[in-house]
Amino acid sequence: MWLSLSDLAYTRSGDKGDVSNVGVMAFGDAEYAALRIWLTPERLRDFFAGFVLGPIAVYELPRMNSFQVVMQKALGGGATRTLRFDETGKSVAALMSRFPVPASLLNGSETL
Amino acid sequence: MKRVRLGAGSGYWGDMLEPAVELAKRGQLDYLGFDFLAELTMSLLQRAKMKDNTKGYIPDIVPWMRTLLPITHAQGTKMVLNGGGTNCVAAADAVMADASRAGLSGVRVAAITGDDLTDRIDELRAAGVSLQNMEDPSRSIDEIADRIVAAHAYIGSESIIEALDLGAEVVIGGRLADSAVYVGPLMHEFGWDFGNADWDLIGAAITVAHVIECAGICCGGMSSQWKNVPEPWNMGFPIAEFAADGTAQISKLPGTGGLINQWTIKEHLLYETHNPSDYRMPDGIADLTTLRVNDAGSNVVSLSDMSGRERPEMLKVQIGYTDGWIAEARVLIPFPDTLAKADRCEEIIRKRLDIVGLTPRDLRFDRVGIDALAGPLARRPRRDPQEIELRVTAHVDSREEAMQLNREVTHVTTIGPVGTAFGAPLRPREVIALWPTLVPRELIPTSVVIEEVASSVAIA
Repeated sequence: MWLSLSDLAYTRSGDKGDVSNVGVMAFGDAEYAALRIWLTPERLRDFFAGFVLGPIAVYELPRMNSFQVVMQKALGGGATRTLRFDETGKSVAALMSRFPVPASLLNGSETL
Repeated sequence: MKRVRLGAGSGYWGDMLEPAVELAKRGQLDYLGFDFLAELTMSLLQRAKMKDNTKGYIPDIVPWMRTLLPITHAQGTKMVLNGGGTNCVAAADAVMADASRAGLSGVRVAAITGDDLTDRIDELRAAGVSLQNMEDPSRSIDEIADRIVAAHAYIGSESIIEALDLGAEVVIGGRLADSAVYVGPLMHEFGWDFGNADWDLIGAAITVAHVIECAGICCGGMSSQWKNVPEPWNMGFPIAEFAADGTAQISKLPGTGGLINQWTIKEHLLYETHNPSDYRMPDGIADLTTLRVNDAGSNVVSLSDMSGRERPEMLKVQIGYTDGWIAEARVLIPFPDTLAKADRCEEIIRKRLDIVGLTPRDLRFDRVGIDALAGPLARRPRRDPQEIELRVTAHVDSREEAMQLNREVTHVTTIGPVGTAFGAPLRPREVIALWPTLVPRELIPTSVVIEEVASSVAIA
């Protein structure tokens, strides 16, 4: 059974140059704990293959049950020169919301 | 305990004026701050100034100040803004002229200068500054040296503090860091000094500034909470009440639209802040990992445990340079067989570009409604949509090539599938690309020019 990230967290994205960032705000402690295990740069690199061309970092903000995902070379060159309609990557948050998460992580069973 | 009330009057060039007027009238504010600048804006303003040296500031600020200054003057609220763009002195002159006409004698307006490095590139390089590209260190500034449009440093609060010390009611800066518009007033009010600073307090000020600097965007604008946001058309802009102990409350005026709760504040704390323990601003480094966000009532959120570290020695500088042109064209494709027709149109356009010998640096085809946002993450639909907009964009070397691209997309409506619809053509736009770099702060001194509206005199 798979969930989407949007079953566990809210997301919102922004830009600086060619860097896209997505704030991921888990609904609660259980969702945060599940995402701490699952939301890794490696899985995000596979998920955003062809869309994000540079390195990806995931930062933890435990006091806010949140994560900051920072993705380089992610906006087609940046707002002033990209050919994408979404020059500032506001919709990257929506793409992120479909990132698949195994339901077992949230049910307390850590076996996948 | 002393508390300072800050209101956010604008989050971008083009924002709504009404919320700022409401805040000025009813907010009981000590300061009303305004951010008008995006990354590209300084280059656009520099171009405006090159055409006419009385321009180069955000034109909106003149009517805005004309509307707001009589209110803030009566309320004892001071205004700090970065709308001076590339010509703060001209902006201050225009605001002064209006203040004078309105009979606001004694009002002092300050302009901040020193952030403009456009004419100092050679000097900086001679001083040993490499101007290496922060996003791509392998690139040398030499490759763009003859195409530079503008170069501006993100500057901090020193000159804002000085202007407020001199009694300015309106402080107009250029590329002030967005946060400085609020950090400067806090430092002035609390008497903080960079030489003997409590960096946790300055980190707190930067954090609070970040929360409110995009105005309505922390109040349920652009929000994951959109379904629960009441009356966004009457959006109330945020008020930050900052206490001397480094805690703060974020709220908005009663009777306004929008929403402030832990989610709208969290989503903005994370907005464009990148490494959360190292949020670098010219006035200090905020650490966003220590703070606590708590709901403290209806549309009130409290922030505590904020922290920070000493300000960086290097200031970020954004250099804008010309980098070719972008052409954009579109056709709308009707049912039936929309997917196949879109494929055919793309094929036709690619063949035509080959025939006329146009090889763009980059060429993109979007099927709007299917993959324009998701790109390679999109799934091809199983059934034909009712309509598809085929959006064609290309990055080319010149305006002429951009026009040629537009012509070839137009041809698809006469040689392509029946029913392919076209509208008014979009104009090509010149690309100003950005080159972020770092320059030591001691090489970027700023200063204040202050003027005072003369006492009105009887006309003989």
